[in-house]
Amino acid sequence: MEHSAMVAKGKGKKNIFLVLWLALIALILVGIIMLLPPGEKHESIQTVMKDSVLHEHNKMTFFGLVVNPGIISAYMVTAILLAGAALIRIFAIPKFKTVPGKFQSIIEMLVDFFSGMARNNSHHEPHFVGAYIFSAGVYIFFSTIFELFGVQWITTAGHSMSLPAPISDINAAIAMGLMSYVVILGGGIVFGGVKGALGVLKDFSLPISMSFRLFGALLSGLLVTELVYYSISLSFALPIVVAVLFTLLHAAIQAYVLTTLVSIFYGEAVEPKPKKEKTKRVKKAKEK
Amino acid sequence: MPLNIDFLQILLHMLNFVILAGGLTFLLFKPVNRFLEQRREQFAQTEKKNLEDAEENEKLRAEYEQKLKDADTEIAEKKKSAEKECADVSAQYIKEAREKAARIILKAENEAEERKGHILESAQAEIGELVVSATQKLLSNTASPERDSALYDEFIRLAGNSAEREGRE
Repeated sequence: MEHSAMVAKGKGKKNIFLVLWLALIALILVGIIMLLPPGEKHESIQTVMKDSVLHEHNKMTFFGLVVNPGIISAYMVTAILLAGAALIRIFAIPKFKTVPGKFQSIIEMLVDFFSGMARNNSHHEPHFVGAYIFSAGVYIFFSTIFELFGVQWITTAGHSMSLPAPISDINAAIAMGLMSYVVILGGGIVFGGVKGALGVLKDFSLPISMSFRLFGALLSGLLVTELVYYSISLSFALPIVVAVLFTLLHAAIQAYVLTTLVSIFYGEAVEPKPKKEKTKRVKKAKEK
Repeated sequence: MPLNIDFLQILLHMLNFVILAGGLTFLLFKPVNRFLEQRREQFAQTEKKNLEDAEENEKLRAEYEQKLKDADTEIAEKKKSAEKECADVSAQYIKEAREKAARIILKAENEAEERKGHILESAQAEIGELVVSATQKLLSNTASPERDSALYDEFIRLAGNSAEREGRE
């Protein structure tokens, strides 16, 4: 007993020493990084930030078309996600068990989260809107995380730049907002008839608010990250922590916000409208 | 366009998302959702079956308890009937024994009465003999052959009667 206690005590001391040693090295490295002379900068901070928002300068070619970097990012994310989904479909799903393992639990939780959200908010065709919000949620989350990897691509000007999150491009945000609106409008027309469609059409600010909310939220994260990248000469240590935290946070929040909004608006659009007789009766009752 | 909005790029983003949504739906969402639905259904069926089994078990338990109760009642009834039968049989035995005892007593009384009669008869014979003997002694002086012959006849008759009675016994 005494021997084992002594061994444990010795291990504890070793661990403390190891942690202190690593912390010291980290501190010295951060000091060195902070004191390094800034690297060569081709653009001013104003230009970098403006380009992050508008993508006017750094263009890329996509099958002969000159496009914003967001398009490249978007198609790359789609390719990665579809490849991942195909691998899961081929290798993991056929081996799914009644009592799930860790990986199966994650996949099930992800699908059931969006499916449950659709079921709770809509009583008509929740599978359709469930599939839509699942895809939108996965796309927003992973495409936002995508900027963390700093995948390099060559611009039309010949510079190398890291690909941004697709939705930091306003065109992607507008596309998402418009498609969400179309889905809600489609649900309103199919299940609510002309009245349902009119109800959705009446709220024409919906696609604009959705697009700009998504764009603004994603852009704020991107701007903060750009600012940190610009200010610190080497893109590691502090930028990594800041970028990861901001990116993960707003990726999760934006995925949740957009999918929740779509499922709620869809649920409202497809909800059966109360008949006019009822309102007349209520009016009559009030008059009495 | 302001803010670098480009309709072609919006369409390109839409195309990208439509491809992604279709792919994710058919590769991931539908199969996983189908699996979840099947499992939910399987659990619901298992739960339903368990409930049915529990109901069946409860029913069987009630039936078993009822059978036990019936068996107890039957046992009690049979016990009661056996006790009654036993009491009847014992009463019958007692009655028969009493009758038998009464018959034995009656027989014994008859025999005793009969023996008493025999004793009385033999006593009478002996008394007669004594009387004859005494008379003979008294009348020895007045004896004659006829008288003697009469006395002998009397004696033989008495003796003969006595021997016959003893042989019968």
